[in-house]
Amino acid sequence: MNDLDLRIDFTDVTTRLFRRLRKGFKLGMGEYLVALDVIRWETGPKTLADLKLTLRLLWCHSLTEQEQLEDDWDAIATLTAAKPKEKPSSDSASDASAAPEKPEAEPPTAPEVQQQLPQPPQPEPEVSSDFMRTPYLGDEWDDGSALQTYFPVSRRSLSYFWRYLRRPVADGSADVFDLSATVQQVSRQGFFLAPVYTRRNVNHARLVLLIDQDGSMAPFHRFTRDLVETVWEESSLQPDNTSVYYFYNVPTSHVYIDSHCTSPVTLAAVLASCDSETSVLIVSDAGAARGYRRMERVRLTTEFLVKLKQRTNLIGWLNPMPEDRWAGTSAGMIRHLVRMEPMNDDGMSNTIDTLLRGQPLSS
Amino acid sequence: MKLDKRYIFHGDSACRPEHPYADSPTEAEPYIVDEELKQAVNLAIQLRRPLLLEGEAGCGKTRLASAIAYELGLPFYRWDVRSTSKAQEGLYQYDALCRLHDVQAKNAGSTVKRDPSNPTDYCEMGALGKAFQLTEYRSVVLIDEIDKADLDFPNDLLTVLDRKSEFLILETNETIKPTPGNEPIIIITSNKEKGGLPAPFLRRCIYHFLKFPDRPEQLSRIVDAHYQATTLAQEETPPKTDLVKAAATRFLELRREGGLYKKPSTSEFLDWIEALQHFGDKPYAVSTLKKVSPLPYLELLIKRRDDWEKMASAA
Repeated sequence: MNDLDLRIDFTDVTTRLFRRLRKGFKLGMGEYLVALDVIRWETGPKTLADLKLTLRLLWCHSLTEQEQLEDDWDAIATLTAAKPKEKPSSDSASDASAAPEKPEAEPPTAPEVQQQLPQPPQPEPEVSSDFMRTPYLGDEWDDGSALQTYFPVSRRSLSYFWRYLRRPVADGSADVFDLSATVQQVSRQGFFLAPVYTRRNVNHARLVLLIDQDGSMAPFHRFTRDLVETVWEESSLQPDNTSVYYFYNVPTSHVYIDSHCTSPVTLAAVLASCDSETSVLIVSDAGAARGYRRMERVRLTTEFLVKLKQRTNLIGWLNPMPEDRWAGTSAGMIRHLVRMEPMNDDGMSNTIDTLLRGQPLSS
Repeated sequence: MKLDKRYIFHGDSACRPEHPYADSPTEAEPYIVDEELKQAVNLAIQLRRPLLLEGEAGCGKTRLASAIAYELGLPFYRWDVRSTSKAQEGLYQYDALCRLHDVQAKNAGSTVKRDPSNPTDYCEMGALGKAFQLTEYRSVVLIDEIDKADLDFPNDLLTVLDRKSEFLILETNETIKPTPGNEPIIIITSNKEKGGLPAPFLRRCIYHFLKFPDRPEQLSRIVDAHYQATTLAQEETPPKTDLVKAAATRFLELRREGGLYKKPSTSEFLDWIEALQHFGDKPYAVSTLKKVSPLPYLELLIKRRDDWEKMASAA
């Protein structure tokens, strides 16, 4: 009996923890069901500490996640600690925990009705019964990431997205073995002379990266640095076809080839190197970080964009500020001139699309 | 899912069955397993999910797999991932060119080792392919340093690592899938060298972070286990307990307070103990080791120039 009580408790704790961690940890139903399976094993967890260890192994995939589980565990353990005292005479498994508690919080639903109905109205009856009694925790806790660091896009996804910036042309070295062509040739000639090789695909996409540096962009240097590093090291772009320039607020007559803005080149020279097949990506908060609306900035940006659009239509703009902060700032106006995307996974994906296919005709 | 009682890992190489299966490691792998790691291994075995191990370089991620295979007496297949590795290589490789060559050679009248009319002769199974073909028992597959490969690599492996995994050999039209109940036990190691692994991949794994043993007693136990295994084979004298104890204390002190960029790991500690014991004519004096500065045989522990300079300026 005692043992059975413990098992019920375990399922409950597991469910609560799952509901808390599900979103942040990206867990699916499979992970939840597996945890329930393990609890039922003979060799399954015997104590709460065992249970914590098991769930940590099953659900956490990094040290940070392990720490977060520890925090959430403490909150849940204090809630469930008082539980055994409150249900001293529980005889059967699930009804016992639901019956004495339901009427307190929800008078119209009598326990008898609950037992008669084969399908309870709530999808998770044992959980909801517990929520009646305990202080309200919020139905599903946000993962808490709002309180942690602002991390819009990971390095992994950056390297991943760069791969899609490609215009493959088969004009590389001829060293790809073509099996079916070889077999065809053999059958045509009647004997085997040599294998057939085809040319390797080479990425012909060209990219100019223009990065707003310092000032309001200082908090985002980490991301712009990642962006530049992944372009150089992990994209499939040819190094000769990639160039990176920095500017301060707006690209005016000069931009810089180093991130400290000490070696200038003229903007005219940069534009001269762009043709209609060159993708240009601008990374700037466009005034959204400080929330200003400066007509001077909008005017200069417009001038620059007009010059740029004479060269190429493959223009993208990444804004590291979240989209809801653009309204009412210069960014809110500039986004009507060029397709501006926030610097998150979706935004990155749309931007790569724009860099390959060009701005929509309407803008 | 039911519990499979045939395979329970105790972290003790003495539990090895009398008649291990073919391809099982023949040399005992001394390995000290704590409760958490034992639990992680057993969950991975029972749930048939891959165990993902992360941790400092040299803390024993790779060795765990052969320790498991040795203890359970199961075949051990190792797949070392390189920067150019493709997921396909772990399943099978097909030598179409060799087959084509053999056809021509045969027509020209020379004898060939393999029969070109039989497509299966030219199929070489990879680590996972071999493991999937076992019908009577399970096996241990080590996918070493998965982070070294291309970004897409873990994604390509997803379907194969799933519980209902199978793959098709295109050339022979054979479908290879593990017999239910005999799926391989998969151990994956990663150094997080090139950023993290994708979320759908992580979701399927049991995750364990191998911590560095931070108490002298733990290090002493590792040294004991190591010498128990090697002295049997090579008749070496194991180092004395007080030498190991003094060395462990100094070593942990160096890790903790040295401010080193690259901290020395367990494998380097074992090398260092070996040097202290056998490099000189007689084992290094314990009393000297307790207070000597800088430490002897520092070449074994410090592997970076800036760390060297730091140690030199501290001395």
